[in-house]
Amino acid sequence: MAVERFLQPRASSWMANNGENVDIAMSTRIRLARNLTDFKFPYSFTEDEALKVDKEISSVLLDKGSELDYTFSHISIDELAQLQKEVLIEKHLISPYLAKTQHSGSVLLSQNEELSIMVNEEDHLRIQSLQSGFHLQNAYKIANELDTFLEKNLSYAFHEKYGYLTSCPTNVGTGMRASVMLHLPALTMSHQIQRLIPAISRLGMVVRGIYGEGSQALGNVYQISNQLTLGKSEYEILQDLENMTEQIIQQERKAREAILLNSPSTLEDRVCRSLGVLTHSRLLTTEEAATCLSDVRLGIDLKMIQDMDMSILNELMIFMQPAFLQQYADNPLQPKERDFARAKLFRERLNKKEINSEGEDLA
Amino acid sequence: MICDQCAERYASVMVKQQQHGQITELHLCDICAAENQSINIVFEKDPLAIHQLLSNWFPISKASINPIRKEITTCPSCDFTFSNFLQLGKFGCPSCYDEFSSQLNEIFKRFHNGNTEHTGKIPASYGTTLKIKKEIEELRKQMQVSIQGEHFEEAARLRDEVKMLSSKLEGGALNGS
Repeated sequence: MAVERFLQPRASSWMANNGENVDIAMSTRIRLARNLTDFKFPYSFTEDEALKVDKEISSVLLDKGSELDYTFSHISIDELAQLQKEVLIEKHLISPYLAKTQHSGSVLLSQNEELSIMVNEEDHLRIQSLQSGFHLQNAYKIANELDTFLEKNLSYAFHEKYGYLTSCPTNVGTGMRASVMLHLPALTMSHQIQRLIPAISRLGMVVRGIYGEGSQALGNVYQISNQLTLGKSEYEILQDLENMTEQIIQQERKAREAILLNSPSTLEDRVCRSLGVLTHSRLLTTEEAATCLSDVRLGIDLKMIQDMDMSILNELMIFMQPAFLQQYADNPLQPKERDFARAKLFRERLNKKEINSEGEDLA
Repeated sequence: MICDQCAERYASVMVKQQQHGQITELHLCDICAAENQSINIVFEKDPLAIHQLLSNWFPISKASINPIRKEITTCPSCDFTFSNFLQLGKFGCPSCYDEFSSQLNEIFKRFHNGNTEHTGKIPASYGTTLKIKKEIEELRKQMQVSIQGEHFEEAARLRDEVKMLSSKLEGGALNGS
C-alpha cells in the first residue's frame, strides 16, 4: 500500500535543519485553497460529486505530475486505519479535518513529503508546500508552480472581484495561508511574548501554539501566519510575514543574549537538567518532553551542548506524539505505556550522534 | 452557603439558567460545578469558530443587511440560503458568492481588515477573459459618449468592436487561448 512509505518514523526533508535562522525559524508552510468551477463545495456536495472531484484532480497529478518532476502517491482517506490517519496528521501531511471527512477524499504526497495535496478537505484542493527553515519565497514558488500547472488542466472557481473562491469567507482571495514555525524560548521565559502577540494580531497576522490554539505554546514553539487573504497580493502577504518574522527573530536573539548575560549558570543548569531528563528518563509525558526538547534545542543554539544534531530534535518533536509512538511500537498503547515508549525512544535516539540524510528507521 | 447539589461542601459558584423565560439560580461547590453539564457546554464550544463569529456579528433576525435582497437570498445551484451561510460560516458552492454578493462586502470587510477585492494572482485563462471584459467596458463607455455627441458612425464602429470581442469571450478566450 502506497501509504506505508509515509508512515515510517523517518525524517521528511522539511524536518531537516537547513538554512539561515534555522535555530529559531524551524519550518515554513504555504497552503493554497482552490475549488473547481462545476462542483458544489465539500460542505454541500454529494458523495457522487466527491468521487468525481477526487478522480478529476488525482488523475491530473498522477498522469501529468511527472511534467513537474514529481512523483505523487495517491492515498484514499477511507482506506486508512485510524492510527495511520493520526500518524499522517502528526507528520503535518494531512489535516485533522480531512481525516474526519464523511466523503471520498484523498491526499497526494510527493516522495520527499514536501508537497501534499489534499482533495476534498474544506475545499476541493488544498496545496501544501513544506520547507525546512525560514523559506517563505521558496515554499511559495513550489506551491505556485504546482498551482499554475493544475490550473491549466482544471477549471478553477475564480471571481473577478473576490479572487479564488473558497468554502470559508476567511480564505477567499488568494486562498493562501503562509506560516512559519518559530522556537521562542527566551521571549517566552521573559514573558515578552504576551506583549508581542496582540501587536502582531493588529497587523493582520496571527500567532498560535503548534499543538493547538491554546495561548500557552507547548515546547515554546509558535506558528505565525497571515490572517488576511483578500486585498493583498501573495507577494505583499509574504513580504509582511517575512518582515514580521525577521523582527521576531531579532527580538528572540536579544532576549537570549539578555538571559545569557544575566543568569548564565541558571540557564545552563536548566539546559543540562533537561538533557539529563531526555537521555535518562524511564517515563516521559508529552508536556515534559516538549519542554525539555525546547531547553536542549536552546542549549545547542547557545553552544552549551556540543555534538548533538539538531535535526534529530526536529524528528523527535514529531515522533514523540501518540500515534507515532503506537505505530513504532506496533501496538495500541495506554497513556502510561506511551510515556514509557517515549522515554525509550528519546534514549535510543539521543545516544546516536548522527543521522544520515535519507533518514533511517528507528528499528 | 451549602452546595445545592451535594449538600455537603460549601458553594463557590453561582449558576444562573434561563429556561422558558424563567431564571433559576443554582449555588454549587467547585466539584459539582465542574460536573454540571450546562456550564461545560458553554466552554466546550470554540468561541473563535467562524460560524459563531458570523452569527454574532450578523444575527439571523437581522440577516438581511440589504432588505431588497431579502426575497432572493437562496442560491439556486446549491439551495444554500444566506441564513445557512451565517449559521455554518461556509458557502455552499461558487455561485453563492454572486447570489449573496450584495451582503458580502460587510462581511469581508470585517474578516479582511476592510478589504473587499482580490488583488493577487489571476489564473492565466481568467487573465485573458478579464482583459477582454475590461476592454468591452471601456468601449461601451466610449460608445455612450459617441451617441450623446451624435457621432453615430463612430458609435457603430465601437458597437462592432464590442460584438467582436464578445464573441471572442464566448469562444476560445475562456480556455486561455
